[in-house]
Amino acid sequence: MLKVEVFSSPGCGKCAQARDVLKEVVESLGTDKVSWREVNILEEMDYAVDLGIMASPSIAIDGKLEFTSLPRASTLRAALLRRLE
Amino acid sequence: MYAIGKLAQQADVTPDTVRYYEKEGLLAPTRKTEAGYRLYDSDAVRRLRFIRQAQQCGFSLAEIGELLALKNSDEACCKDVRSVAIGKKLQLEHKIRALQLMSHALGELITSCNDEARPLDACPILAALESSVAKQAKGGRDA
Repeated sequence: MLKVEVFSSPGCGKCAQARDVLKEVVESLGTDKVSWREVNILEEMDYAVDLGIMASPSIAIDGKLEFTSLPRASTLRAALLRRLE
Repeated sequence: MYAIGKLAQQADVTPDTVRYYEKEGLLAPTRKTEAGYRLYDSDAVRRLRFIRQAQQCGFSLAEIGELLALKNSDEACCKDVRSVAIGKKLQLEHKIRALQLMSHALGELITSCNDEARPLDACPILAALESSVAKQAKGGRDA
């Protein structure tokens, strides 16, 4: 199962809106195929540093930093579909 | 109003530092005297202290410029500043991690050198550094 992790900080309204759209993309691919986790960067700073995350928000797929800002829904969808093929 | 020396004293910096901040666009005199001396008001003191404090938190002058712009922007809110601060904290955590690795590597080199009476050409620390320089040079050629 693909693991999508979104690193951001709570209280960022702009992120929350964009995050919801991306979450829908992930869920539309099937929750049995792709998992979604929202990571509070302030609570898991060590893990974020492990993955090389330098900016918030960022997205990692399967433990690898993939986007250093929130991508468009279509970009995330394409990145996930490539991996699911 | 403060002259440049007095202003610098208020924030525990030198007049040269104040001039440098001015050159970088972080600070400006409130006005100049007819003789061309710079004069500053109490806002300049606050701004100067803000710059110093931000520097101590690891912000570069360019980042401090961004923070000051946010501070004076009608459209920005504290979330924007928080986001800049989180980015800086991430950078610092990465630096700490890199420093820890360097410290660990040095610790290993120090452990490998257990005979202080050895001649310099048999020094394992120097040998290890030489070999790492040689490896890097080879890697650079191979790349």
